[in-house]
Amino acid sequence: MIVTPRILLRIAAIGLLGVLLQLSFFSRVELLHVSPDILPALVVCMGLLGGSMAGAVSGFAIGFFVDCLLVEALGITSLVLLAVGYLAGLFRERFEIHSSLVPALLCMGLTLLAELGFGAVELLLGVDAPVSVLVVRDILLKSVYAFFLGWPIYLGVRRALRPALVEEPKVRRRRQPTVLGV
Amino acid sequence: MLALLIVGSFALLTLTYRGSTGLQSGVSTVFSPVQSVSDRALKPARDLVDWFDETFDARGENSRLASELAVVRGKAVAGQEALQENAQMRKLLALDGSPALAYSAYEPVTGRVIARSPTVWRSSVTIDLGSGDGVRVDDPVISGDGLVGRISSAGPGSSQVMLLTDHASSISAKVVPPGVQGVVKPEVGNPEDLILDFIDSTREVHGGQDVVTAGWRAQGLESLFPPGLPIGEVTKAPIVEQEASQRVDVRPYADLRNLDFVQVLTGGSRG
Repeated sequence: MIVTPRILLRIAAIGLLGVLLQLSFFSRVELLHVSPDILPALVVCMGLLGGSMAGAVSGFAIGFFVDCLLVEALGITSLVLLAVGYLAGLFRERFEIHSSLVPALLCMGLTLLAELGFGAVELLLGVDAPVSVLVVRDILLKSVYAFFLGWPIYLGVRRALRPALVEEPKVRRRRQPTVLGV
Repeated sequence: MLALLIVGSFALLTLTYRGSTGLQSGVSTVFSPVQSVSDRALKPARDLVDWFDETFDARGENSRLASELAVVRGKAVAGQEALQENAQMRKLLALDGSPALAYSAYEPVTGRVIARSPTVWRSSVTIDLGSGDGVRVDDPVISGDGLVGRISSAGPGSSQVMLLTDHASSISAKVVPPGVQGVVKPEVGNPEDLILDFIDSTREVHGGQDVVTAGWRAQGLESLFPPGLPIGEVTKAPIVEQEASQRVDVRPYADLRNLDFVQVLTGGSRG
């Protein structure tokens, strides 16, 4: 990814929009009693398009912003999302994305990892109440929602960052058929 | 760079546990108008999704509510009688500690919920009321149905409410009518269930009884919550033997997953 001041502004706008959408919309709607979490999927898309460093930095920044807005323990969301962004970027650097299903599957897998990560960090810091088994349902359904939301998020982010993407496949024009067919 | 970010995360974590929230408060204050606008703009979309979700639940809910209504009607009649008796008795005894009087010491301020925590491990909402509206840390927060939680942090233009279902929440409560006291704690991940713990096992508690805030006051200390605020209803009270205390399941009256407006009880005797 070629990062210019303009692209940096676009990334910041995407992050801001994603966080506001999450806190004002996705966190407050429920499907099957579980709210979707688009932030890990958003960070995965950043990592997939920009690489490991872009993923890690955007994960850290988005996490920091969320913790600031919710006045919750700083650092937890940053730590988890930076790991998710880094892993997504690492995947992009090591493997080719052949199928259009890959971003959605990665969003699902890494959202699962992020939710498990949140749980692990919270448990390490101490949870003063019994934990319901419904947490498992919450984590699994959040991952399933990430699968369905991952693809549109990926397309949206790719469209917004298109000028900065160096490995964007070129649009191949079909050759006009000639009279002789050659 | 990666190492720097990881170290940065741990440094932020340390900063939080050392009690520094000035930065967060500043960011929250700057963005609370933006959150308020986005909340209002996204309300129709949220309602649409909620409509789909609620349609699935409506059938089961209908029969449950019908049976609950019959029970509540009976309670309401009994409650009216009890209120009349209570008023007469209080006049006679000149008591000033009734729940209604304690409640009147507070000034309710209505606010709108503008954001909600995305993770199941934290249960908090952001409201568009701040210290400028008289909101202070630890003020009780209620909805039309009952207790919702308390203010965990208050900025100039917005505040965070720690809901009853947050793992750090702990409220002294009592079961009425017997008046058995205990502590209401959440069960992380299950917003429809609270646990009333540390109840004297020799006292009998059964399903359908109401749970309200205890509102204790002793040796210069007092509960953060006024007495008599409805919390929920006992749903399951397992029989325990040879245990010093028992715990029962409580369903909160307030729908903590669909909060749009809440009231903060400002002032009170702590003011």
